Amino acid sequence: MSVLVLVGTRKGLFLLESDDDRREWELAGPVLTGWSIFHAIADPRDGTIHAATNSEVYGATVHRSADRGETWARAEELGLPEDTGLTLEKTWHVEPGREGEDGRLWLGAAPGALFRTDDGGVSWAPVDGIVRHETRDRWHPGAGGMCCHSIALDPDEPHRIYVGISAAGVFGSEDGGETWTPANQGTAADFLPDPFPELGQCVHKLLVHPGRPERLWQQNHCGVYRSDDRGESWERLEANGLPSGFGFPLALDHREPDSAFVVPEESSENRVTPNGRLGVYRTRDGGSSWELLTDGLPQRAWGAVMREGFSSDRLDPPGIYLGTQSGSVFVSPDAGDTWVEAADQLPPILSVEAARS
Amino acid sequence: MTVVLLPSLLAAEAGGRNRFELEAETLGAALRELPVASLVLDERGDLRRLVNVYVDGVDARDRDGLATELAGNETIRLVAAIAGGRR
Repeated sequence: MSVLVLVGTRKGLFLLESDDDRREWELAGPVLTGWSIFHAIADPRDGTIHAATNSEVYGATVHRSADRGETWARAEELGLPEDTGLTLEKTWHVEPGREGEDGRLWLGAAPGALFRTDDGGVSWAPVDGIVRHETRDRWHPGAGGMCCHSIALDPDEPHRIYVGISAAGVFGSEDGGETWTPANQGTAADFLPDPFPELGQCVHKLLVHPGRPERLWQQNHCGVYRSDDRGESWERLEANGLPSGFGFPLALDHREPDSAFVVPEESSENRVTPNGRLGVYRTRDGGSSWELLTDGLPQRAWGAVMREGFSSDRLDPPGIYLGTQSGSVFVSPDAGDTWVEAADQLPPILSVEAARS
Repeated sequence: MTVVLLPSLLAAEAGGRNRFELEAETLGAALRELPVASLVLDERGDLRRLVNVYVDGVDARDRDGLATELAGNETIRLVAAIAGGRR
């Protein structure tokens, strides 16, 4: 067995491959040249690669490849209904359905849109419960557009799903995506007149822990949070040792629900890693404390890691993957203790995702 | 026959073909015939803002846009705009 890492960049998709040690990496690509790859995943159910692809000229779409990127097909149906007055702006995140949900995947997009496919990505249907949500007139776009960037499936409950939309906030569904309820209580929106509104928060990344699905984590424009009640309430965590509450990426350890990883940035006004270093911070106690991980990471850097530029795998110990706007991929094969640079001088990296191959 | 010429990214998306010969009464109908129609036209069927289309060397936006009538002997060239495009 080996590990395949899909590295989405502003200028195509690169593939990194290693054995299970995850210390020596071989680079291939780019493929999908000319496209910005906002996110790419290998579906664990069948290995098909799905990529959220965007072009300033040719629009937003989703490509898929069943042969590790040799050949590609493009979504045949993907768009927003005319009566909504909306048109598709960008595709942001592809989330495979659960084991047994053959052909089903979810797609997050801008402006504030969620799609579902049941035929493996040939045709994508808009999810009306989000696209026509009754609070939509209170949503507003963040700097990157009004992107639906996080889609988190409860691994145990097939009808429970969460999304994160900037800047609308977190929404949860208990009926497979038919209806959606805001889940932002206790999360701040310091940029609004009411700093704790029902919705309108600028969530940057949302994840559900696979081993304790009632536990959610989010990196927000205004803080790092954990929820232990499926998003009904949130506890703010960055005061416990993080240099900043601002940042985009978030990763989890599939074995340990109390562990999480973030890469803070100095502030929303100065979006670089704090203190002139590339710092990954890890908690192992649910966010009560954070430790700076440095072994193998550059100690002199003004980096930036995009919201999809950070992920973890399901090996033991889990690998943590980090791609920078400066074109480097760093991998920790031991849950953050040590890091190796797996690639450098790539175009600005937008996403990294690891899969078994 | 009307000839349609594609730039490199669209040709890659069309299975490597950069030249199509087809019959269509209007420019819009010709573009909808292409396997890359969804990259040239948005979900409303409008020409994407940064795609320029030249019909025998004349910008289609200076003619009748997608309603431009074709006699059947034109060469249509699709080009990515170099800057902000034209509306």
